Amino acid sequence: MTDRIARTVETAVPERSRASALAQTLLRSEWPWMLYLAFVILLVVFSFASPWFLSIDNFLNIGRQTTLVSIVAIGMTFVIIAGQIDLSVASALALSGMAAALAMAHIANFWFVGALAGLGTGALVGLINGALTTRLAIPSFLVTLGTLSAARGLAMMVTDTKPVIITNERYFRIFGEGNLLGLPAPIAWTLAATIGGVLLLHYNIFGRRIYAAGGNPTAALYSGIQIKRVTTWAFVLTGALAGLAALVLSARSHAARPDVVQGMELDVIASVILGGCSLFGGRGFILGTLLGSLIIGTLNNGLVLLGVSSPMQLIIKGAIIVAAVAFTKR
Amino acid sequence: MIPPPVDRTASSGAPLVRVQGMTKSFGGVRALRGVSLEVWPGEVHALLGENGAGKSTLIKILSGVHSFDGGAIEIDGVPVAFNSPAESREAGIAVVYQDLSLVGSLSVGANLMLNREPTSRFGFLKKRQLMAEAENFLKRHNIPLDPRAKVGSLPFAYRQMTEICKALMGRVRVLILDEPTSALTSDEEQILFDAVETVLRQNVGVIYVTHRLNEVFRISHRVTVLRDGANVGTFNTSETDMKTLVAAIVGPKHATAEAKEVLEGEALHERQPSARSDGHGLLILTSVVNDRLRGVDLSLRNGEIHGLAGLIGSGRTEILETVFGLRPIDRGEIRLDGSSLRIRGPAEAIEKGIALVPEDRQVQGLVLDHSIERNFSLPRLPHFSWASWVRRGAETEETEAAINRLSIKAPGPSTRVRNLSGGNQQKVVFAKWNNKRTRILLLDEPTVGVDVGAREEIYGLVRQAAQSGAGVLVASSDLSELILLCDRISVIVDGRVIVTLRRDEFRDAEHLHQFIQISQTDQGQAA
Repeated sequence: MTDRIARTVETAVPERSRASALAQTLLRSEWPWMLYLAFVILLVVFSFASPWFLSIDNFLNIGRQTTLVSIVAIGMTFVIIAGQIDLSVASALALSGMAAALAMAHIANFWFVGALAGLGTGALVGLINGALTTRLAIPSFLVTLGTLSAARGLAMMVTDTKPVIITNERYFRIFGEGNLLGLPAPIAWTLAATIGGVLLLHYNIFGRRIYAAGGNPTAALYSGIQIKRVTTWAFVLTGALAGLAALVLSARSHAARPDVVQGMELDVIASVILGGCSLFGGRGFILGTLLGSLIIGTLNNGLVLLGVSSPMQLIIKGAIIVAAVAFTKR
Repeated sequence: MIPPPVDRTASSGAPLVRVQGMTKSFGGVRALRGVSLEVWPGEVHALLGENGAGKSTLIKILSGVHSFDGGAIEIDGVPVAFNSPAESREAGIAVVYQDLSLVGSLSVGANLMLNREPTSRFGFLKKRQLMAEAENFLKRHNIPLDPRAKVGSLPFAYRQMTEICKALMGRVRVLILDEPTSALTSDEEQILFDAVETVLRQNVGVIYVTHRLNEVFRISHRVTVLRDGANVGTFNTSETDMKTLVAAIVGPKHATAEAKEVLEGEALHERQPSARSDGHGLLILTSVVNDRLRGVDLSLRNGEIHGLAGLIGSGRTEILETVFGLRPIDRGEIRLDGSSLRIRGPAEAIEKGIALVPEDRQVQGLVLDHSIERNFSLPRLPHFSWASWVRRGAETEETEAAINRLSIKAPGPSTRVRNLSGGNQQKVVFAKWNNKRTRILLLDEPTVGVDVGAREEIYGLVRQAAQSGAGVLVASSDLSELILLCDRISVIVDGRVIVTLRRDEFRDAEHLHQFIQISQTDQGQAA
């Protein structure tokens, strides 16, 4: 009986070419095509509904607006596949932005000083999240609920809630306003984070360890995976990416503010889940996350273009997220 | 235990359940091709067959999970067809699955009365009345359960008994037990069998699905053997023997002489004592003490298969876990190749060539949602990578080779492990460690829930590992398995090795079992 199944499956699968293997890796057919379909339907609906929607300018606009969520969601994908959650990303972003701006204002006004301070601060918040979660065995939901509050408080405390102005032109160009490889800098950074995420998650043994740690921590432990270390690195990566997002945001607004992007973690987590990650860990893929964040970005953009009031936007967005996940879950 | 005789005159002349010419296909696969089965009141009817023979499909049809394509089900002579588990339950068919449907945080009584709790006029729970009703029920059926005990804190056998009672509290005509003993110790088995006996006295019919043939002879009146979705035959238990049943289960093609030998349990000690265990000490434990071990002395030689016999909770699993670095050592020493072994976790143990095939493959051994390939490469990721980048070609190639070498029945390396049968899942766990780097192979219950054919293949793998020079430490509740495999057997009681027997010192499972029981009582008196 099993032999027969084996035979039918074998004949059904075409010869595995390099291209199809790549496609399989990136698109992960286990998440239904509904997701891609949903995105296309969304585009079509908005194209008909708004004359301004279907233009390159607007798509670049969506790309720019989605950048922050996309970059952070790439990191969140690692954390969620590892079976954890990070609620502190928005606060880590705000704190990293403050660190970058303060470093350039007080230490040395070079772009890389700001970049290092921002990325380092984000990574440090991640390290604290990871260490508390794995060493003290506190659920990451609670740990990051704590750092969500504490990091935001710290960001507000350092300047007594005042914004810090940035004056470094180079910094603006590299992270916010210039072009890198012919693309607007924020989109180029999103692309870089995506490619890095794909390589790390799907082609590196770090990714394999992340999947195993979330898929079945006990089996991973019994297979010699250092779950605590791997999980901690996932948090550090997410923190560092929140730092990168902070650089992009502060370079665009020429200042760092302690009260930015409050509640962004919801969009980030929604993107990751919409993109096919299991909240229980062990399942998910980077391009799904990117698409998830684009869907949410497109939704935000389209609803604005249609002139939907902002309270109504929130309601519609919430309903669509829940419906999409329920629908695509079979 | 002598089973009570079947009293067919007491019934109306029709069997409780009659399944006739049952067929069922899933897609193009014919799972059942004309299966028939009769169960009479007061009868234990054993259902045997390899994994994939159709046992679970038949049970799922009887319990209303699946519909059937052709054939008929009659209850008391009346044709029925179930559209849902609820309808099957309504007709008096109850299934006790391995994963029990109990609420661990509630008491036995509360579980038994779940959804039929006595309440006052205002909807408040009448706790005293609930307990009284539960207690009455347990007393009436002579079941040794305390209605106030919390289910979660009970040993598995008692939880299972609670589950059976829960089924009995409804109007049950047919009780289906699906591999009820796979997680039980021999003492707990007795508790289960007593419970079954109680059930029989209510004129209930029992369908008993199992892999263990000795249980068939202990408890059943008749046996039906399925193979490839069809009846091989129905036998009166008193008129058949192991040899006949094994031949019926495995069919003509697999009936190797050795497979029969395993189950006959008689020719066992006649196996040639192997010359392969002459090596020097590979692994030596000297008075190892930790939270569960109380001074373990043990030695494992190159090429030796060394058994750990003992009851569940005796510390045999903990010995394996300690060697694998899962439990820190308080006192004593473990030496590997003569030098002291200091490890802080499985990662370091694996580094030294120590491998563990854990007791529960689904929980500890495999990431069920991932492919065979991914599970296979997990313990050796650095080997399958170049500067931390995964070498997928090598990974797939080696997985395919392992699938062939271990004859794992699967469409290919990318098949999800969840979709494999128990035996094939266990082979995947073995495949993870089936390589030259493994010098010490630790096995915990290596063949639980594995069918006869796959079991033989797993024994082959174990012997192969030993022949290639690895030391094998195997803990098992199945004493005939230990006797079949091992060069030496250490009896573990209460966190200590009581005695280590050479091959010429242990005779058969019964002898070994007595040894364990006697040591157990000695130990109890000494303490």
